[in-house]
Amino acid sequence: MPKREGEIMKKLFFLLLFVLVCTGVVLAQTGLKKKRPLPYEYGRVLINNFSEKAGIAPVVFDHWLHRSRFTCRLCHVDIAFAMKAGGTNITAADNMKGYYCGTCHNDKMVYNEKTVFGSCSIKSAPTDFRRCERCHSYGKNVKVENDFAQFAARLPKERFGNGINWEKAETDGLINPVDFLEGVSIKRPPLAVQKDFSISAKVEGMPDIVFSHKKHTAWNGCELCHPEIFIGVKKGTTKYSMVEIFEGKYCGVCHSMVAFPLLDCQRCHTTTVQ
Amino acid sequence: MPYNNGSIRAAIALVGLMAAAISLALLTPAVEQGMLISAGSVYAQEDWKTEFESVCAKTQDPGALSDDELKKLVDRCDKLRPFIEKLDETQRKVYLKRLQMCRNLFAFILESREKK
Repeated sequence: MPKREGEIMKKLFFLLLFVLVCTGVVLAQTGLKKKRPLPYEYGRVLINNFSEKAGIAPVVFDHWLHRSRFTCRLCHVDIAFAMKAGGTNITAADNMKGYYCGTCHNDKMVYNEKTVFGSCSIKSAPTDFRRCERCHSYGKNVKVENDFAQFAARLPKERFGNGINWEKAETDGLINPVDFLEGVSIKRPPLAVQKDFSISAKVEGMPDIVFSHKKHTAWNGCELCHPEIFIGVKKGTTKYSMVEIFEGKYCGVCHSMVAFPLLDCQRCHTTTVQ
Repeated sequence: MPYNNGSIRAAIALVGLMAAAISLALLTPAVEQGMLISAGSVYAQEDWKTEFESVCAKTQDPGALSDDELKKLVDRCDKLRPFIEKLDETQRKVYLKRLQMCRNLFAFILESREKK
């Protein structure tokens, strides 16, 4: 019966249209769900300003190994790495001159009685291609020198991110990040630590945030956060929203990328200052 | 005698003028090539780094500095900048960023005090 079939087809069409519209509305609100990085992937940065243009694989930089050895301040202030992937515009020439990665990766620096391998080189020895791939490893099956599982086994655990409680590791002396490099860092007096303060949570029932300058200055210097990340000059004038923080602003600059992730609410939303 | 006192004096004066002109011509490129003159002191090309380290070492406790000290530090950063801009590309990238971070911090502390 053609009329009945026509009615069924019409209903099916409208049902399909309804499903498509609903899907579109849902996706517009939340976007596609992002895959949570695995512990060894958390803090991974892909650097590809010039690599692919030069016919080489992009650089894969894993923060976990470097942050266990050096403070954030050393790399992001003294060595002048940008806080965003691709923001530094590192070239092979820069590395060869002893800047950026080449500050340490110069075949001369010794760390833990091992010479740090040199990055970019103008030499063309057969083994050099493998050296390039130690960093330029995106999409390649490169054997890593430092095993994450072995490294993390001895460190205090946490739920998210690298699965490592970096704060506790540092305070317990299990890691001792270097904060000064001769010839690179400036000799300075010890950093004067500012007081902790509380930030009220906007959501009723959510514990307030207690921000500890002391915990942050173990890794950073004042100039790393102020004013590039935190431009508020008076307490209460900058309104931090979790939406912006999750987008990678303010606390999210570090806590969506390298430091313990924002999923771990209780790390910040603790108690009010007494 | 073909020469008299007047001629000798004129010759000496001419030689003196030529020496002054040559000295001026030699000194000008040196000034253009990066000798900074600030408040009576002169930075040689190699000393810019000493000045940079002296300025940026103050970022450890900028809150303890007076407004006047902070303004002077901002000023010193601004005076260093043209010199760093003349370095090679890599050094320029690195040191400009470092200098900017120092300057921004000092300016930030100053601004925070003004707005309190």
